[in-house]
Amino acid sequence: MNEQHMTYELIDALLLDYAAGSLTRPLEILVETHIALNAKSAKQLRQLMQLGGILLEEIEPVSLSEGAFDAVMAAIEATPSDLNDNRDMASETTESEFGLPRPLADYIPDLDCKKSWRRLGRGLSQYRILFDDVDIEANIYRIAPGVSVPVHSHEGTELTLVLAGGFSDETGSFGPGDIAIQESGATHQPVADDDGECIVFAINEGQIKLANPIGRVLSYLVG
Amino acid sequence: MENSSDRWKIDLEFDDRPSFNQTMGTGNIDESYSSRSELDELLVRVGRERDKAAFSALFSYFAPRLKSFLLRLGTDMQTAEELAQEAMIMVWRRAETFDPAQAGASTWIFTIARNKRIDRLRRDGRPLPDMTDPAIMPEQPETGDQAVSRREDEDKIKAALKKLPEEQAKMIFAAYYEEKSHREIAEDSGLPLGTVKSRIRLALSRLRRQIDEDER
Repeated sequence: MNEQHMTYELIDALLLDYAAGSLTRPLEILVETHIALNAKSAKQLRQLMQLGGILLEEIEPVSLSEGAFDAVMAAIEATPSDLNDNRDMASETTESEFGLPRPLADYIPDLDCKKSWRRLGRGLSQYRILFDDVDIEANIYRIAPGVSVPVHSHEGTELTLVLAGGFSDETGSFGPGDIAIQESGATHQPVADDDGECIVFAINEGQIKLANPIGRVLSYLVG
Repeated sequence: MENSSDRWKIDLEFDDRPSFNQTMGTGNIDESYSSRSELDELLVRVGRERDKAAFSALFSYFAPRLKSFLLRLGTDMQTAEELAQEAMIMVWRRAETFDPAQAGASTWIFTIARNKRIDRLRRDGRPLPDMTDPAIMPEQPETGDQAVSRREDEDKIKAALKKLPEEQAKMIFAAYYEEKSHREIAEDSGLPLGTVKSRIRLALSRLRRQIDEDER
């Protein structure tokens, strides 16, 4: 299959799964970070959310229980009207001091701390992000300019989002905001671009195969 | 605007959960352009004036759709009822932040329900991003009349969706409204797995192409 095609399909599927609310949290973060870096995808996600709204208009209604409206009004009146639930109004900035796009940076408070990083080899270090109750491995890797990561394969499907710099492997070249996919069992050897450090966010569904760890639509493509 | 066509009768052959309503009969305000702005206006009135009559109208329209949406995704009856009510309470509380230039009422309310459902599934109380977060939903380019351009966008998406062949449209519905894996869809519909996969691929790329084409 044409490389460009696969990338479009992958991103389409990720965005659709995101809009439909069927991604795990690590993949939501991957998508949120991706759209912070890619205006086209941001626009497409907006369209897919609109599609969700349109489909909501199309769905056949199912009556609520009797008295549902009164119950809702009672709940509303029990709370002062000026107490708006705006806990998740995010701040306006979209970058952290480290330069990572906001959604990811918010999740990783101590990224700047040297101790958080594990050295895997010359010019290659790893920061592991732990998620509660999700059996998915998520890591940030820093690869020094021009460094070639040893040939390796992955047990589960792995998605890699480029945060800064770029790398190339057998499947293509990837720059900021691009997402590379490695199917389970595939072998590859990424090489960082020469002109700067490459930072990537990689998510691996891990060894234990969940029913649908990577999203419903995405699983149509790689499952 | 193009009216409903038979292919939109998505009788998802899979089961007997609520089907999509494509017959725009009396009292149905789904389809018309002006009515969609009416929904927006109702929500604006709730936000600005705490207008209970407007909220009641929104409730009658959206709460049963939210419940249906949640049921389709495999939520049990009681939870679907609770979440639909909670989502409507959130609609009241957040209405002030609704900006029709950014999203239509249906999209805005869909997003709230989507987040409510995820919250409930995860039960971690973690706040979810929403349409008002500029990091998640970056600003659209400024135009003379954003609300009009946003509605035109929705019309385009709707038109693109209607141009899809039925079997592909079904896969898009399934992506939003069926808590099923591709394997289950294949089993339930009697289609080979490869066919299910290629339909979703085609649907996604056609949708993308059609929306892109309309831009030019």
